[in-house]
Amino acid sequence: MRRDRIATDSGRDVTVVSRNGAASARDAAAFSTRWSYARKRQLFLGALAAPALVYVLAVAVGPMVQGFLYSFDNYNLIRPGSRHFVGLDNYIALWRDPTARSAVINTFLFTFGAVTIEFVLGLGVALLMWRDDWFNRIALGLLLVPATVTPLVVGLVFKALLNPEYGMIGYALAESGLSGPRGLLAEPQRALATLVAIDAWEWTPLMALILLAGLKSLPIDILEAAAVDGATAPQRFRLVILPLLMPAAFLALILRMMDAFRVFDIIFVSTSGGPADATNTLMIYGVKQGLEFFNIGAASAVSTVIVVCILIMAAAFIAVLKPARNRHA
Amino acid sequence: MPDRARLSLLARRFAICVVLVIALAPVVWLFSIAYKPTSDIFASPPTLLFSPTWDNFSSVFRYFNLGRLLESSLIIAIGSTALSLLIGVPAGYALARSTSPRAIWLAYFFLIIRTVPPIATLIPFYLLMRDIGLLGTWWAVIILNTALNSAFVVWMMFAFFRAAPASIEEAAMTDGCTDFGAFIQVALPTVVPGLIASAIFCVMFSWNDFLYAMFLTKADTKTISVALLSAYGTKDISWGTLGALAHFSTLPIVVMMIALNRYFVQGLTQGVH
Repeated sequence: MRRDRIATDSGRDVTVVSRNGAASARDAAAFSTRWSYARKRQLFLGALAAPALVYVLAVAVGPMVQGFLYSFDNYNLIRPGSRHFVGLDNYIALWRDPTARSAVINTFLFTFGAVTIEFVLGLGVALLMWRDDWFNRIALGLLLVPATVTPLVVGLVFKALLNPEYGMIGYALAESGLSGPRGLLAEPQRALATLVAIDAWEWTPLMALILLAGLKSLPIDILEAAAVDGATAPQRFRLVILPLLMPAAFLALILRMMDAFRVFDIIFVSTSGGPADATNTLMIYGVKQGLEFFNIGAASAVSTVIVVCILIMAAAFIAVLKPARNRHA
Repeated sequence: MPDRARLSLLARRFAICVVLVIALAPVVWLFSIAYKPTSDIFASPPTLLFSPTWDNFSSVFRYFNLGRLLESSLIIAIGSTALSLLIGVPAGYALARSTSPRAIWLAYFFLIIRTVPPIATLIPFYLLMRDIGLLGTWWAVIILNTALNSAFVVWMMFAFFRAAPASIEEAAMTDGCTDFGAFIQVALPTVVPGLIASAIFCVMFSWNDFLYAMFLTKADTKTISVALLSAYGTKDISWGTLGALAHFSTLPIVVMMIALNRYFVQGLTQGVH
């Protein structure tokens, strides 16, 4: 903002120069102090930003780069002496390992399944609560409880509830024949879908909240105009609300996608990748490789793959965010 | 109010109540099993009614050094939150007030750091902590948590400071206030909700984390989340004990969120839009 002002000021200086030499000298002096002020200000702001930047580079980016380098090594902590450069071998092994390939597929299935369900349900809940009154304010506060429960505990709770013998949900499902005798989490075909449902329980409220904020920021006059013009409720939703909500919706979607992609806690405690690798995701696979088998090279290759996928999503996020910001400005 | 509108409002409220029951029932169940005798927890078919007992709480005190676990969790949560705010808030301000076109890219950089999967940093960081002898200390967890939390704080405070008008600070500086004074005395008081929201999220992330704490702490520095996981799976520990333990691990965060709900909601929406 300030830069713009300086730019226009100096632009005026230029026009003044051609008319009056004395005035231009004075303006140039003023301009140079202002320039040095701007420079001082930039230095001050830089000093404020530096600690966080240095810290994050050292503690988050540094290890990440280190991990990227490990991914080209044969490096196992059980035999640390035998560490040597192997080029792309870890990536090739990853590509050839059917367990890793199924982990990639599971991760994408989980991410898209969870985010789609959370979006549809979240939009439904947001539309239900789109009215600022005491009832909805209290409801919103309570609705966010699942998002604050330790994800680890969420996994444990649903593991217990889905137990076919003593769990309330599991028992009912097994008795009515909707699940096998060993429960949903023990069935290879349904375990992943069950985890998607658990994730949806935990994060739909958050999606609803973000979409609700989007709904509340819609221009009221346009909505009223549509109603006055006789548009029915479904028409208003499809032709007015949904298109206007798109930027907020897209941001919520990508944010949730980046989080769902690295899901770990609920899977780790409820199935830890089983049964028969049916719920094995990239994060589970990577943590097992690294912190159970101490195969640092392989684990680093897995995390590099995850980081690349997340960076692609982040790029999409920023691509959407930028024009959205400009439009508001 | 016409009857149809009243009816639709009632239907909507009813639907919201159904959603609330689905959202809250598992949480209520978790806390209720703490008061259930073990025989009732494993009853098949499951029972809804039971005679309440304190047994599960006494076994929590018998099997766990609860004071030490809470101390670890608190030190890690508070230490990381304080550090994250200390370095994150000034950076968020600087990026929001900077006129450089690079500022927005730096802000995105911090946002992306928050979304990096834990495993990408955890393994190299684990080896680093082992080499410099910090493995197994609170510091190891605090240092790593702070990297991710401060990145989140920068992004969130960036959004809050951008929404706050710069004109008051400019006026203060014209009146002879220093840059630093304008930041501390003028800008900071306008973003108190943002500071509270940032602190809530830092505390929540650190308190709820178990992957980092699981690998970076040892027996006498482990957090309550780690204890919860290690408790599960040993045969002396029942679901009831877990429910009782959850009173100390999960309930504080849930209560904090409900009490500070306004800031929680504001932080979430500000961070996105």
